[in-house]
Amino acid sequence: MVHVATAQQPKKKKISYAKWGYIFLIPFFVVYLIFTLYPQLLTIGYSFTETYYDLDPIAGSHWEGPRFIGIENYITLFTPDANGEIRILKYLGNTMIMWVICALPQFIVSLLLAVIFTSNRLKIKGQPFFKTVFYMPNVIMASAFGLLFFELFGSVGPINKMLISMGWLKESYDFLGHEVSVRTLIGLLNYIMWFGNTTLVLMAGIQGIDDSVFESARIDGAGAFRTFFTITMPLLKPIFLYVFITSMIGGLQMFDVPQILTNGQGTPNKTSFTLVMYLNQMLGVKNYGISGAISVTLFFFTAILSIFVFKGITKDNKN
Amino acid sequence: MKKSVLGLTLATLAAGMLLGSCGKAADANVLNIQCWNEEFRGFFNRYSTDEGKALLKEGKLMDDDAKKAKEGYHVDGVPVKFVETPSTDGAYQKALDNALEGNAGKKAADKVDMFLAEADYILKYANSAVTQDIDTLTNTKIDQSHVYNYTKQAASDASGHVKGISFQCCPSGLIYNRTIAKDMFGTDDPAVVQTKVDSWEKFETLGDQLKAKNAHYKLTASFAETYRVFSNNVKAPWVNSANELSIPAEVVTWMDQAEDLVTKGETVTDGIWDAGKTALIKKDPKAEDDKAFCCFGPAWYYNFCMGDSKAGDWAVIKGPQSHFWGGTWLMAASGTDNGDLVAKIMDQYINDAGTMQALIKNENQFTNNQVENQKAADAGHANAFLGGQNDTALFCEAAKSIKFENVTAYDQYCNEGLQNKYQEYLVSLKTGNGKVTREQAINNFKTSMKEQFPKLIIK
Amino acid sequence: MENTNNVAAVKSKPQGNSKNTAAHIRLIIEKILVYVFLMLNVFICLFFFYILIVNSTMSKDELQGVFTGIPSTHFFDNLKSALNTADVDLPQATWNSFLVAALSAIVTTYFSALSAYAIHTYRFKGRKFIAGFILAIMMIPSQVSSLGFLKLCNQMGATNQLWVLIIPGVAAPAVYFYMLQYLQATLPLDLVEASRIDGSSEFRTFNRIVLPIMKPALAVQGIFSFVGSWNNLYMPALLLTDDDKKTLPVILANLSSKAHSQADAGQVWMTILIAIVPIVVVFLILSKQIIKGVTSGSVKG
Repeated sequence: MVHVATAQQPKKKKISYAKWGYIFLIPFFVVYLIFTLYPQLLTIGYSFTETYYDLDPIAGSHWEGPRFIGIENYITLFTPDANGEIRILKYLGNTMIMWVICALPQFIVSLLLAVIFTSNRLKIKGQPFFKTVFYMPNVIMASAFGLLFFELFGSVGPINKMLISMGWLKESYDFLGHEVSVRTLIGLLNYIMWFGNTTLVLMAGIQGIDDSVFESARIDGAGAFRTFFTITMPLLKPIFLYVFITSMIGGLQMFDVPQILTNGQGTPNKTSFTLVMYLNQMLGVKNYGISGAISVTLFFFTAILSIFVFKGITKDNKN
Repeated sequence: MKKSVLGLTLATLAAGMLLGSCGKAADANVLNIQCWNEEFRGFFNRYSTDEGKALLKEGKLMDDDAKKAKEGYHVDGVPVKFVETPSTDGAYQKALDNALEGNAGKKAADKVDMFLAEADYILKYANSAVTQDIDTLTNTKIDQSHVYNYTKQAASDASGHVKGISFQCCPSGLIYNRTIAKDMFGTDDPAVVQTKVDSWEKFETLGDQLKAKNAHYKLTASFAETYRVFSNNVKAPWVNSANELSIPAEVVTWMDQAEDLVTKGETVTDGIWDAGKTALIKKDPKAEDDKAFCCFGPAWYYNFCMGDSKAGDWAVIKGPQSHFWGGTWLMAASGTDNGDLVAKIMDQYINDAGTMQALIKNENQFTNNQVENQKAADAGHANAFLGGQNDTALFCEAAKSIKFENVTAYDQYCNEGLQNKYQEYLVSLKTGNGKVTREQAINNFKTSMKEQFPKLIIK
Repeated sequence: MENTNNVAAVKSKPQGNSKNTAAHIRLIIEKILVYVFLMLNVFICLFFFYILIVNSTMSKDELQGVFTGIPSTHFFDNLKSALNTADVDLPQATWNSFLVAALSAIVTTYFSALSAYAIHTYRFKGRKFIAGFILAIMMIPSQVSSLGFLKLCNQMGATNQLWVLIIPGVAAPAVYFYMLQYLQATLPLDLVEASRIDGSSEFRTFNRIVLPIMKPALAVQGIFSFVGSWNNLYMPALLLTDDDKKTLPVILANLSSKAHSQADAGQVWMTILIAIVPIVVVFLILSKQIIKGVTSGSVKG
């Protein structure tokens, strides 16, 4: 093939090369079709069927289905359970709350850090050190971090021991048994893992702003605060939007940390149970019908939230 | 430029290794055993493998060190492979179902030969075609005349074919702390202590007395300690013949008791396997540490749930109500190509006198051989963990009353699921934030059962 | 740092003297506050590692005692028992993780670069559509396909095979997107033309001329793919059930569900340490490039 291309080369250039575009895209699309698109279509297909592995104790374990049942799985998903809760919405709520717990401080701190690092006045020394330290948690596996927190905050773990020996607590506090503390821990963990990354991205955004803009603001006598709110923030909006949406989509897919921290249970009372944990659980019991419906619902949640946020921020821009 | 070629070469090499490691060329015979924890594997390595037996001859016990694990163990020259899947959330059963599917058609190296099963779900496998009658493993029948009848009954299918054997018999008792007993009653004599706790009323009163005596005394080491006393004495099954799930009355009684003990601060909300429970029975507690008076469990409990507590400081008695807990069965997988080895191993764990006595003496077990248990009891077996108490004698007596009744294949999911969900209620009860009500906890349990078994009818 | 230069330019503006002193004092106070704030974040980041390291040096019994925060002497005992335990084959899991992560990184970066090159260089029919299509599928969470993927692996009999975790990396829209941006910024099409005139084949041009130019982007995305794959729990946990195929995150997840009274706590801490040390070391060596990579382009969040 190589020789053919070389031989043709002197005569016609443009026409003979276009095919290479297709050839070079073959691996991508073959793998995409087999390992992404086909599975996605399978998933959607299953969401309209009743398919599960029945652990029937009398007849023996066997597969039930697939049997086409229309949108019944979706109806099941959105029907309130015995506690009067629509679980998939509850899990969506949990996921979003834990994302906010992590994202809000993350955005504030990261913005602050980005401004500090790029500040002309402060000239922060040791930036490589700070950046390295802040980014480091991001490369550590969430499962290791989860297990670390699980051990640290256990009822007889080091944190409880420390708080007791300092006299701050009288008896050990069950961090992993309380809604507020579990969610906060998960948020904190995600915060630690991501604030360094967000800082660097925002820094890039600030550095991308033309210096002359800052200079003219300075000549106008604008203080640090005014410069930040009237210049930095508006010009940073596109990159901030990017950070916001990627963070939100990442947040919707939250899995490793709560999975390991709560041993897959989402304790207490499923208040730290996320959408992907739900999907994982249903895949684990091999209920493919419901799993499919959860997957498709997750996709819609992602799409709707992204559009919503995107619209909201761009509309805000016009005003 | 050279680098990218180098990179590709490396990638190709690595890919080759990857594929190579997937399809091991030779299809050698392997004894494949599926299990959910290391308990049996430890015994097996010490008493059944070629390597373990060689050490036994020198008077030493095999210690699972890495070198040995790397080289692997063998039985009659056949390499042994254990596949361990923790049983949390039914993960072990799922892995097992996967592995057993189409077992007969698999390569010799992949065929499951034997697997371990617990009382909570043994019915499912005993009644299934994935297991085979142990008498069909070889030409000779395995002598089952000395085993406890309930262990045989549990491993039998509807038409009476026995599909496996248990290597232990599990009458269970109340295991109390001798130091605290002395402090409370002035003696740690099991006969006297038994009179203080021979009914649930006395047991619960003792909780109050302990607290009054010392604020750091807890009655039990976990809210779940007494669970099996109730759940293994149920008068109606979890799931009836109409596939309806309901919580047995005895379990409801336990729920009330656990709620009461937690409210009064006489036990903790940690599960029996959790670090918080272990801390209550630790080796050298300081004066200001909380300490638990008792646990409930069979012989395997000493090693398995109390491994870090002080040996010699405990004793076992019948307690308020007789009960049993579990057992571990060795099941013969259909399609095994090592029937002779499986039969040999099964025979060893119910009939071999040397192994029985070693299990009792070295491993604190109560075996599934009535004659050998009695022999050890009569010889005045002294259990060091229990300060020299002859627990074998006590269990010989208790084993007589074990009945395997009202058991269903759903029991593991029910027992674990209910305790897990109820624990969340107890935690919120303890802190008084009322986030999870008792009703919600019960609903959560039922919902999760329905999710796992879509066919169940929830009552 | 690029910004220090323009700092000097701004600073050189002359200012009133008395105002200068007051501003100077303010600046110092601000600086102190800022450094305190920075150190607070450093503390949050490093505190947990500190505890991890301390605890990995303690014996089981010491861990049950009062927490002192002072390292003990059992580091090597724990290391030995973590590596030697019969329950989990840590060296094997580390090797599996490494194999999957390294090959994923190579496969992902190479083919993403190739795909980006195709879109960037060639003017073929449907090019715009394909480019838009890849951009659109970038937003779909990977979990959406996980059920079908699992089913596919079952159909192929490929559960417990590491290659199914590697090959899908060929189609990585996000990495492709980064590569495309990089190419647009760095690769003049004249260079490709020149190479053609030299008689180089298209494939050869890509491998010999384009790839070297893309080295920084390959390095950055290679590292991210490696880290992402090394840390990935979701699919491996569903696919890998054989003990000798499990990767590190799966082993860690198993550890946490394992009964506590059975586990040697010192050994558990050591296992966590072993799982994260390689990646931290790699990170510290390459931190400059990684940080530059994050700052210069988009990273999956």
